[in-house]
Amino acid sequence: MYLQSRRTFLKGAAFSVAGVAIAKGVFATDAKAESVTDSKFTNTPKTLSFYPDQSEWDSFKELDGTDWKRGGIERHGVRSAENPDGIQVNDYTIVPTVCSNCEAGCGLTAWVNKNDFDKGVLTVRKYMGNPLHTGSRGRNCAKGYAVTSQMYDPDRIPFPIKRAPGSKRGEGKWVRVTWDEAMAVIGKKMHDTLKVGDEISKKSIMYHVGRPNENGFGPRVPQSLGIDGYDSHTNICSAGAREGTIQWANDDRNSPDWANADLIFLQSSHAADAGHYFQQSAGYIADARKRGAKMVVIDPRMSNSAGMADLWIPTWPGTEAALYLYLANRILNEKKKDGSDIVKHEYVKNWMNWDRLMANKDYLQKMIGYGYISKMPKDDSYESFIELAKELYAPYTKEFVVKECRLEGMEYKLDELWELFVPAGAKIASYLWRAGAIGHRGGWMNTRAGFLPLALVGAMRGDIGGVGMHHWHEISVAGKGDKATVAGVHPPKTDAWNELAWPPEYPIATYEMGFMLPQIMMDDEWHKKWTKKGLKIPKSMAVYVPRMHNPLWINPDGFRWMEALKREDKFELTFNLSPTWSETNWYCDYVLPVGLAGERNDQQSTPSKPEQRIEFRQAVLRVAAEKSGWKPKDPTRATLEAHMKFGLGEVWEESEFWPNLIMHHVDPDGSLGIAKYWASKKDPSRCVTVPEYFDEAFKLLPKLKAEATKLYKGEEYPIYSYMRDHGAWTEKTDVYKPQEEELEFDGTYYHAHGHKYAKNEVTKDEFGALWVDDGNFKKSIGVDVDGKLHEGFHTLSKKLEFFSEWLADEWKWPEYAVPIYPKNDAESEKMIHLVTQVHHKHMKGDNEFALNTIYRLPYNIHTRSVNSKHLMEISQNHNPIWIYTKDAEKLGIKRGDAVKVQIQDTLTGIKSGYFIAMAVPTEATRPGVLACSHHAGRWKLQDSVKIPGFEHTLGIMSLGSPKVSMTNDGKIGTMTTTEGIHPHKAWQFKEYNKDLEDIWWNGLSGAWQNAVAPCHPDPIAGNHGWHQKVILSKAGADEKIGNIYVDYESNFKVYKAWRDQLTRPLTAADKLRRPYHIKRPVKPSQKAYEFNIKDV
Amino acid sequence: MNNDLKQEQIARINIYALISRIMIGEIDEGLLKSIEEDENILSFFPTFKDWKRRKEHSSKDLIERYLNVDFTNLFLLHLIPYESFYMREDQMLETGGDNPVQAIFNAFEFKVELDKARVMASDHIGVELEFMYELCKAELKALEDDNMEMAKQLSQLQYGFMKDHILEWMPMYLLNVKSEAGTAFYFDAADLALEFIMSDFEYLTELKNSGYNYPV
Repeated sequence: MYLQSRRTFLKGAAFSVAGVAIAKGVFATDAKAESVTDSKFTNTPKTLSFYPDQSEWDSFKELDGTDWKRGGIERHGVRSAENPDGIQVNDYTIVPTVCSNCEAGCGLTAWVNKNDFDKGVLTVRKYMGNPLHTGSRGRNCAKGYAVTSQMYDPDRIPFPIKRAPGSKRGEGKWVRVTWDEAMAVIGKKMHDTLKVGDEISKKSIMYHVGRPNENGFGPRVPQSLGIDGYDSHTNICSAGAREGTIQWANDDRNSPDWANADLIFLQSSHAADAGHYFQQSAGYIADARKRGAKMVVIDPRMSNSAGMADLWIPTWPGTEAALYLYLANRILNEKKKDGSDIVKHEYVKNWMNWDRLMANKDYLQKMIGYGYISKMPKDDSYESFIELAKELYAPYTKEFVVKECRLEGMEYKLDELWELFVPAGAKIASYLWRAGAIGHRGGWMNTRAGFLPLALVGAMRGDIGGVGMHHWHEISVAGKGDKATVAGVHPPKTDAWNELAWPPEYPIATYEMGFMLPQIMMDDEWHKKWTKKGLKIPKSMAVYVPRMHNPLWINPDGFRWMEALKREDKFELTFNLSPTWSETNWYCDYVLPVGLAGERNDQQSTPSKPEQRIEFRQAVLRVAAEKSGWKPKDPTRATLEAHMKFGLGEVWEESEFWPNLIMHHVDPDGSLGIAKYWASKKDPSRCVTVPEYFDEAFKLLPKLKAEATKLYKGEEYPIYSYMRDHGAWTEKTDVYKPQEEELEFDGTYYHAHGHKYAKNEVTKDEFGALWVDDGNFKKSIGVDVDGKLHEGFHTLSKKLEFFSEWLADEWKWPEYAVPIYPKNDAESEKMIHLVTQVHHKHMKGDNEFALNTIYRLPYNIHTRSVNSKHLMEISQNHNPIWIYTKDAEKLGIKRGDAVKVQIQDTLTGIKSGYFIAMAVPTEATRPGVLACSHHAGRWKLQDSVKIPGFEHTLGIMSLGSPKVSMTNDGKIGTMTTTEGIHPHKAWQFKEYNKDLEDIWWNGLSGAWQNAVAPCHPDPIAGNHGWHQKVILSKAGADEKIGNIYVDYESNFKVYKAWRDQLTRPLTAADKLRRPYHIKRPVKPSQKAYEFNIKDV
Repeated sequence: MNNDLKQEQIARINIYALISRIMIGEIDEGLLKSIEEDENILSFFPTFKDWKRRKEHSSKDLIERYLNVDFTNLFLLHLIPYESFYMREDQMLETGGDNPVQAIFNAFEFKVELDKARVMASDHIGVELEFMYELCKAELKALEDDNMEMAKQLSQLQYGFMKDHILEWMPMYLLNVKSEAGTAFYFDAADLALEFIMSDFEYLTELKNSGYNYPV
């Protein structure tokens, strides 16, 4: 029934404004074409998953995108000599590659237009997905499709630049150099350093890698130089979660089977929002949910995935472990509705190392001493272990969790969680990652404790729908193209141990302590102390090389980074291999422009599902040109030549740069014994080429080798050719529970992990683990479970380690060797290493908050996407501070208000400074917890630089960063925004940047909070605890959003307090630098692990 | 031409213009001012007229803090304002030249400026309603020129377009908008559009049944 009569609508005639003034006017008239029925082109692909068949990729013709969607060929027909008004047909070479923005490594295809190849023009018109990539399945997120805007970024650095002679670092004076000139200087410095050949020289070159997105080439570089010089970014990124996984399974991280799970169990903003392996994981999670799977998200902030979840539990940040142990308590002490046990006993009994705990009477006594259990178990049986576990976790009650996780009023959510958790059984897929693990002191325990309930219900078995392990699903061969070289073998491990990356205070840090490099380098007292004890530590770095990394901006205490990088006595020569302008570039000696997704040659492998797959990132202009008959003058520099020839600029990449640098400049006469690892076996006078090297690397995959040699019979590099043309290869599918694979014993030899061991070399211990000698150490190779031999997990016991015996015994943290969390105030004081620095006990007033800084923006990546036009239009350098509505009301804070966010360390009480942010009151963060992503807040000191002799001015981050003024006196640093982003015109890649005059965002709502944060690593995992206690107030009239003030002298005091009060450093009683069995990037020799100092 | 007919036709043109504009993109301060200052227009937005927020905020604030947020939810994120989504079994958008609505536009030599409209395909609610606006305008011109045959053809076309396209999906979408709207403005706008298209189809049907016997 209509509410309004027709007569009512007649009022429309009396509008004071005519329809013509109101209507948007989206129609234009356009004559229709004659019939084009004979064309091969169709108006619309038949399905949305449309991709041309791979056999057509070398030459695929498609209508030009600027017009064909507006009516298809029926509008104007196809362009020809007779029909000049028709739609343009583009002849594409479709080259597969891999996105290089986040670690997901989704497949891409570059659509290289070769219409004008004869005129020397090749351009990538668009990037789409690669349907042959079985993880990403032809799909991409916003960052993948934005690769075109990154490739043709108007501020792309067009050639290598060098700090102008006579100027100081940070002055912003640059001159143009060639790659050869840069390589000559850098190579000589490296040569002179390495020629010394002593221990110090092997620690004086550092390769500091941002998100690597490749699997082994980078580590091969320092290893071939004979140095301990690799430095990952990982400890600011994910070290906490990795530590928890290492203790359980000695694996880097877990690998869930999202698609087949019945419950998606997520901690923090991850997997479905961003991070490992975002677009692919999100797709599989969506598939699972379509099938009926439920999703739980545990996060103080309502992330995108929390907003869509069946259940959102906004725990207080850093207290997640309490929630997980509560689940463990209920799993152990309750029954299913049918009366059966919830614990999957068959699995726990066989595959958890409870037997080692029960046999370790000393440790059991310690547990009594810690107050974990009240008495010794009656015997060593499994049943007694279960009784022990029941008692151990009984205190983690609902009442406790509600209080500890601050879930008052949300008790019902815990009941809902239980109702979702139990029916899912072993089909629970999880990634316990991101903020909960990296943001906190003790964050690693959130992952360690989180895996306990999963293990108890059998979900950690790695079966269908459960949680597997990372290395089961990853293939790393990029460092193994050895047979293409003169040496023919992998470079040997170095005997040196670099304390600058692996300081003795943090012997079990998950990865290198790279984020505190300036703190170490500038601390003469520390240097003196350890030198006196007998360590040989360099006082300065001869060559420092960030690679696709922006350490100055992304790491905490940025002003100290700035100070350090300016010191030529500390960092003698620096160069950044950087695809974009960055804050770090500004303080380097050289900026060497390297490639992005379609401009590099890398092997990558992303474990996004239970399969083993590799991807090949390629320099697409080179490949397309070579397919069209172009040949480089020098095959070892083909990528650089192609980029110069086809208009991208002097942009190079590492797989050609390093071999050339090392062979021709670092070790030109071979006297250092290094050149042979990069000299081509085919032509020893030059270094290896991309096809030579990667053909040998890919050859290590037997199924790929078989398929490629069949398809590319007669070709010189058949495996390379296969990957060049397909971009991805799936070596094995359905990789489930490989730890349960049978370990083969043929009566004489045991066959384990590709090696064979003679019977008499192998000994079995009382728990069934099989051991062999490994140099000076021992290693386990398999395990006997119930009379059958299995490969086992990667742990020493070959089982999931509920009890981390090595952590308890040699590595000084016995109280944390089982999943545990303080249960009361006294334990909280004593177990300070497990208690987050932003625990609610530290928040006293209405204006004191925990600041949640760790969540990625799904449409941006920390630093390398800063100038992507499409991504910046969405993100705008905008990082407001989220505040719960009622908290805002209490403080009189309204949306858009400038607020002062003062950081205070809770260990020392020291205030380090503040940043000014824009407040956004919202229900999407929990009471007491603010949220402000640390992934935005870029800055620059100048809009552009003028290079002498070059006609154009080089813009600096003109789409993503406002301009600031800065003061910095060595103790106090300040920053004030002075100008926002403006509409402007491009001098290069004009065709792709016609809309720069339409820029509407100004980038003025972000602040560089990373500089204010003191550097304070977790004493065990070594992760930087990103979250902060902050004191919030309204900003003063003269304080603008984006301003920061940092007392970085105070920050240094905080750093020292955390280091000296919380760590348990190596002493003269220790014999090893680090547990030999756990992972370390670019593992040095056993000799390097030996530790011998005197206590002085 | 008959004045009643003229008024009817002008009313149809104006209302189609108004609802198509509201559905196609975020409201701007100019349009909001036009609505608020014209009693006739405002009378189509009874809930909005008395809405507390409207009185509490400036137009700019109202738009940025409430109306744009609601628009994003209703037209960009959670509801799908495209005919093909409702008509195809697989609920996919038809963004290419095979879109049946696109085919109609092609036949009448209309091209949708997708970038100006900021839509993915030609069968967006705002575009379809603006097409009706164009047809009504043309019909008025034919009537003013006494070209009754052309007016009849244009009315037949409107009847057919509504029957085969607009009424097949738009009422369901607009009911969803009414149900999901977070602001009085979009609730009223959806109500207006829904009521009007139903009423207008009745009008077109009556005209058709009368043998296009326009009042003279």
